[in-house]
Amino acid sequence: MNRRQFMRVMPLAGGGFMLSFYGLGKTPPAMQDTAPTAESAALGDFLSILPGGEVIFNVTRHEMGQGVSTALAMIIAEELCADFRQVSITYPDADPQKYTEAKGGHGTGGSSTVISMTPILRQAGATAREMLVQAAAAQWNTTPANCYAANHAVIHRKTGQQAGFGTLAAAAAKLPPPASAKLKNSKDFSIIGQPQPGKTLPLLVTGKLAYGMDASVPGMQYALVARCPVFKGKVGSYDAAKALAVKGVSKVVTTRAVAGLQGPVYPYDIREGVAIIASSYWAAKKGRDQLTVNWEEGPHAHASIAGFEAMAAQRGGQRIDPVGYTGEVNAIANIDHAKHSLRAGYVFPYMLHSLMEPLNCTAHFKGDSCELWTGTQWPEYITDEIHRIFGIPKEKVLIHLFPSGGGFGRRAFPDAAIEALCISREAGNIPVKVTWTREDDHQTNFAHCYQRLDYQAAWDDNGQLYAWYEKECRTYMWDRTYPATELTSIGYNIPNIRYDFEDLTSQSIIQSTAWRSVMSNGWALSECFVDEVAATLKKDPYAFRLSLLVEGREVNVGRAEKVSNTRLLKVLRLAKEKSDWDHPLPKGRGRGIAAYPYGNSYCAIIAEVTVQDNKVSVDKVICAVDCGMVVNPSGARNQVEGGVVWGLSALLYGGVDIRNGRVTGGNFNRHKVVRIHECPDIEVHFVEAQDEQPWGLGEISNPVTVPAVLNAIYAATGKRVRTLPVTLNHTDV
Amino acid sequence: MPTFNFNINGAMRQFEVDADMPVLWLLRDYAGLTGTRYGCGIAQCGACTIHLDGKAVRSCTVTCAAAAGKKILTIEGLSPDGSHPLQQAWIQEDVPQCGYCQAGQIMSAAALLNTNASPSDDAIHTAMAGNICRCGTYVRIRKAIKTAIALQAKTSSL
Repeated sequence: MNRRQFMRVMPLAGGGFMLSFYGLGKTPPAMQDTAPTAESAALGDFLSILPGGEVIFNVTRHEMGQGVSTALAMIIAEELCADFRQVSITYPDADPQKYTEAKGGHGTGGSSTVISMTPILRQAGATAREMLVQAAAAQWNTTPANCYAANHAVIHRKTGQQAGFGTLAAAAAKLPPPASAKLKNSKDFSIIGQPQPGKTLPLLVTGKLAYGMDASVPGMQYALVARCPVFKGKVGSYDAAKALAVKGVSKVVTTRAVAGLQGPVYPYDIREGVAIIASSYWAAKKGRDQLTVNWEEGPHAHASIAGFEAMAAQRGGQRIDPVGYTGEVNAIANIDHAKHSLRAGYVFPYMLHSLMEPLNCTAHFKGDSCELWTGTQWPEYITDEIHRIFGIPKEKVLIHLFPSGGGFGRRAFPDAAIEALCISREAGNIPVKVTWTREDDHQTNFAHCYQRLDYQAAWDDNGQLYAWYEKECRTYMWDRTYPATELTSIGYNIPNIRYDFEDLTSQSIIQSTAWRSVMSNGWALSECFVDEVAATLKKDPYAFRLSLLVEGREVNVGRAEKVSNTRLLKVLRLAKEKSDWDHPLPKGRGRGIAAYPYGNSYCAIIAEVTVQDNKVSVDKVICAVDCGMVVNPSGARNQVEGGVVWGLSALLYGGVDIRNGRVTGGNFNRHKVVRIHECPDIEVHFVEAQDEQPWGLGEISNPVTVPAVLNAIYAATGKRVRTLPVTLNHTDV
Repeated sequence: MPTFNFNINGAMRQFEVDADMPVLWLLRDYAGLTGTRYGCGIAQCGACTIHLDGKAVRSCTVTCAAAAGKKILTIEGLSPDGSHPLQQAWIQEDVPQCGYCQAGQIMSAAALLNTNASPSDDAIHTAMAGNICRCGTYVRIRKAIKTAIALQAKTSSL
């Protein structure tokens, strides 16, 4: 999701919590090896050290595969001067009182974790280091200036005496922390910038890492929910007799009490349904198979994706008041009468998340308090909504946090937790684990917003581009004010640019939500239209892009980070240097290029494809990324590689088919994602920027992959594909 | 409900369960072995891959009745201490992101290496095509399988 927007919402989610009964809390069973114990010494809110020297780092942001557990541990270990092999991680319970906004909170999204946590954790690590140094100095009757920390120990400068962190921790923990600790010079970093394998790997490769799905609570029952197959529909009547006859099924309840609830600012929608409660998942599943529900299908009973697309296309063709423009607004209006111009419409359709770990939540409603076990990107939002909906005081909401099998924006919303808590209450205040089946996930879940982008461009007799227009129609607003002032991230030096936006949220036929990179997925399709202009002008797509960028130029697009032409040039040049751009591919193959920022990171991609019998295979993808400092080169490459595959799944198998109000795709047999044999060779190259701050990269590569591949398909076939998934039989939007 | 005897990771265990319940749920909800993951329930994603008498199967579509009496091997039993060459290689190549699918990936790869000590790229793709990774770690999975093959060769030549 858009970084600025996400950071703006965080203040609303944080602050004001009083969790008086909080201790160190329960950690997932598999992590108990590393959980703080009575004999560990806490040095600040993030670190504790065992007498043997093991450092335990509290990962307060959500780990969902983006590698923050390891990256954040590296950052704090760097300042601590720890031996990184002796650093373990743990996932504490949500604790908004302890992990306040000033300490970064828990909310995780917008590729912002490393950006926002770096200054906080560097200071925390340096503070702990100074406390350890102070403890050693006291032990040796000398001044802290005579001591320094290195490699998990404090060393006496004069005598060479050494004391390990483990032996100093208890004394250090009793000292008052310094008001401000001196940070290391980035030139002295020995952990940051060195590839480190993920801290969870030993547990993960032995099957012992616990996700929310693995939560187990005494007395726990299992629930599956039959949710209305049509968005905004309701339960009419139901017959649970046969379901209740299934051995193990104990109760059948509805979620009417919370169904239809909407997020007050950040959108979600809970579908009405009937929950089967049983002694096992399998009994709940068998019971649900026996349930008969008559649905009141509501306003979208006859909705179809074809009808929706026709409406969006009609809207896309209409100019409205611009959100913003640069240059002369009439220059845009005059495109219609321009001597040389081009127009095209592109669609980035609804997309499913298909999180490998389907949504789930274990919840226990206890009247005036509640307890939840789940993986969530935003526990503060869950707490706020439970308070609003169930009236439970915020300090009586206890959430045990687990890492997730994928988040990608979907787990930022509290709906699954609210639904589970409702079911626990309706079932008589018993702990209930609600699991979504894959069919539930694919047929009744939220999806990436539908984005339609209509572009126009005009140029003069010399081929100089002088006007660029884009109209976006989208089914999602991050919050009510968005996008009052924000433009898409067009960095090109075109004198007149105009952006119109139309909100189609109320017309949407399924719930739209955050989906890896959010609006950037659609916005980056401008890289296809640039390609169309270059082709019309018979210019090389790489050279044409370079001609539209000016070294040193920065473009204000209405948010904190300006779009830097210099950094766009850097990634474009690096990608080209690593490719065979100047050597054309044989017939049937093609190479495409695209570059786009996300937040304050930049990415250029050159993709090579083969098209045979209208079937596309992606052979090679070269990524050049400028994300500022790279904290963990191994994890960073993994994110960029994964983003490419994510983009390819959208390209080859994306979109959501909806007929009679129902999403028609079912399990992975009908709604496909890319598999190993379809995965291209992927190269990742970083622009050297280790003396800058890190800028985040979990969402940088997928928006760029899509236009790079679409442009490569054009190079191979001469056909412009303007919507996803790629079908080469009919391509007009 | 009938009672079945199961050989799980070398230990005999008895459970009273539905004959038609998939082994996946036996492992997860009865045996406490949650390393085998639910991802689709119809043998499409491979997250629940286990070995049954040495062959990779999707435990979401093998019933308890069919698995009783056969040797069930899960990720927890692949090696006593996480030292299987594939487990080592997975760490060395830093394969996982969210990790949810990776036990299934490793179990599929382990079954492949049991029958083919030096598989071709095509054989790797064929054996691994049933395992989805939504995080997109496929490049690393390929590499780690080759690393494991090298580790295995090194061990067996000692």
